[in-house]
Amino acid sequence: MSKRYQPIVYKDGKRYFYRFSAHQRVQHVILFTTVITLALTGFPLRHAEESWAKPLYYFMGGPDIAPLIHRAAGTVLLGLFVYHSLYWISLFYKNHILKLKQNNELTVGNFMRELLSLEMVPNKKDLLDIIHLWKYLFYITNRPPRHERMSWREKFDYFAPYWGIPILGPAGVALWWRDEVTHFMPGWVLNAAYIMHTDEALLAVLFLFFVHWYNVHYSPEKFPAATVWLTGYLNEHDMIHEHYNEYIKVMIENGLEDKIKPQNFGGEEYEW
Amino acid sequence: MIIRRSISIVITLSLALVFIFVSDMVYAGDELNCVLCHKHRGLSRIDKDGQFRLFYINQELFESGPHRRNKCKDCHSDIDRIPHNPAKEVDCTQQCHIVEPSGNKKFSHKPVAKILENSTHGKLDKNGEPKPYQEDFPSCKSCHDQPLYRPFSIYKGEKVAGISKRAMSRCKSCHTSGDFAEDFYEHVTTRLHKSRYSVETIEVCAKCHQDEGFRERHELDDVITSYKETFHGKMVILGSEKTPDCIDCHVVTGENTHLIESQSVDTSSVHENNLNTTCRTSECHAEAGAMLSSFQTHVTYDREKYPMQFYMLIGFKALMAFVLYFFLTLIFFELLRRLFPKFSFFKEKKIDDYDDILHEIKSSIKQNEQSSDDKNIAPNTSPENPPDSSSGKSPENSPGKTSDKTKSLDDILRGKKE
Repeated sequence: MSKRYQPIVYKDGKRYFYRFSAHQRVQHVILFTTVITLALTGFPLRHAEESWAKPLYYFMGGPDIAPLIHRAAGTVLLGLFVYHSLYWISLFYKNHILKLKQNNELTVGNFMRELLSLEMVPNKKDLLDIIHLWKYLFYITNRPPRHERMSWREKFDYFAPYWGIPILGPAGVALWWRDEVTHFMPGWVLNAAYIMHTDEALLAVLFLFFVHWYNVHYSPEKFPAATVWLTGYLNEHDMIHEHYNEYIKVMIENGLEDKIKPQNFGGEEYEW
Repeated sequence: MIIRRSISIVITLSLALVFIFVSDMVYAGDELNCVLCHKHRGLSRIDKDGQFRLFYINQELFESGPHRRNKCKDCHSDIDRIPHNPAKEVDCTQQCHIVEPSGNKKFSHKPVAKILENSTHGKLDKNGEPKPYQEDFPSCKSCHDQPLYRPFSIYKGEKVAGISKRAMSRCKSCHTSGDFAEDFYEHVTTRLHKSRYSVETIEVCAKCHQDEGFRERHELDDVITSYKETFHGKMVILGSEKTPDCIDCHVVTGENTHLIESQSVDTSSVHENNLNTTCRTSECHAEAGAMLSSFQTHVTYDREKYPMQFYMLIGFKALMAFVLYFFLTLIFFELLRRLFPKFSFFKEKKIDDYDDILHEIKSSIKQNEQSSDDKNIAPNTSPENPPDSSSGKSPENSPGKTSDKTKSLDDILRGKKE
């Protein structure tokens, strides 16, 4: 990425913290567009007997067109999956492996250490944060967890497609090329693919539309919608609330340590 | 007086004329004038078994139905006087007075009944012994319920019902007299196109095959529900015309529809040796390999019969329950936590500041500055000019690995947590 993003920008006298590059935001838009399209063309079929299924299915093109849209969107999503994997692998290589190579330190141990230290990889801190969060929710402590740049929720959101697409994608491809598949695989593979595709899709959609959309839409702080996916920058309030450790770090790095605000977990911040 | 009488005569005559005219409109087959009573919509009674029976005949429906040229007595042959006694059930295999044009014989549905007898739906088994639960086996009318007896249904089949006028004009050039051409045309064409929508076919089979008592008596799976679970069933429900219904798979291509045979009979289309041919017909899975036949269509998620599907389903449902319950509970408690944000059983000291963290961060930065020789990290850089070493902020990079300073910073923050 050639463009360098300001870690902190000011808009209307408020601080905004850099989170996602334009490249990543475009990937996210493609991801949710295809997933919503897939859900709209897939779920009427999954729940064909429900009263809403037929109107929705015909709105999405009916039995002749909707499957084509579904397959096209699925192809784009699989392409995005491959592209994103190459994307982070190339960045990982550029930023971590090359450095090790230059210093002649490229061993399996070092490689694994670098891999596990990537910001998206779940670690011990995430487990402790989850435990801490439950303590906080059950009124055992009055301090909410302080997250790093990527909180465990975001990591879960990130890895949800990473486990969903490898299940949904191949199953969908098998059901798409059902005739060709039977030349080298037994027919019961299609039975398995059917369950994999429909049940994993239900899990994905329920998770996205309840949990993920709670995080970015329904939650009192975000309602009606968070804007970080559009602008790439997170406002200071949410930064303090969701990534306090990262907040402190960025503030100090930018020489703003005297401007650091307390976490305010006493609840004063909530004005709704 | 004369005027009065003449008026009454005129009225009587005109009434009689109207009556004659109306009764003339009644279809030709009604020579006994049955419709005189049966035209009344409320003509019904509750029979000995407590069943509500409707005896109303919708003339419009009857006259466009397949039996419109039959006389009432052709089928209801046991009626010999009017008003009549309770009539017997109609036997479709008896000869009616319609003469078949090809052989000049009286017509009967017997050949079709014969085929049905040889199918899995026949009442007798191979040795001619009656199968148990005789009343469960279908007769003609179990499936062929006439539109006549379906008061609220509309004709199924082609979108434009009736005779195609353009096609008719060809017949009419020779067959000028009577309505032979119309009848013959209809007779042939109704047998050429699909007489039922797939959804209706499934409903016909479901009448028995989804009935729990019936399935228990004959030890059958709920094939209707399992069919509706497949993409075949779902596409059919959504109105696809290309997807197979029961008959498409359970009748051997080229055979009569009435010859549905049990899976265990080796001539059946769904016998394991024939599945390949059945699935790979030209309209369906023509490109499929021979291994397609191990696909299981009627999956009931029974642990013994379909262990793979059963355990996969359990696995996915458990995963779904775990993920969703975990997060939904979390959301629930999170919302609940906001009701009393300041309350807590145990309060941490120094809750509202970060001095302790900050102090450690600062001292570590100082240490790093002393130890590192060429680092130009100034802690007080203005926000407009972020320090060059801020590459740790680009999201692809792992924080804490790009420079010694941020690394120790992270360690402190993490250490503080744990």
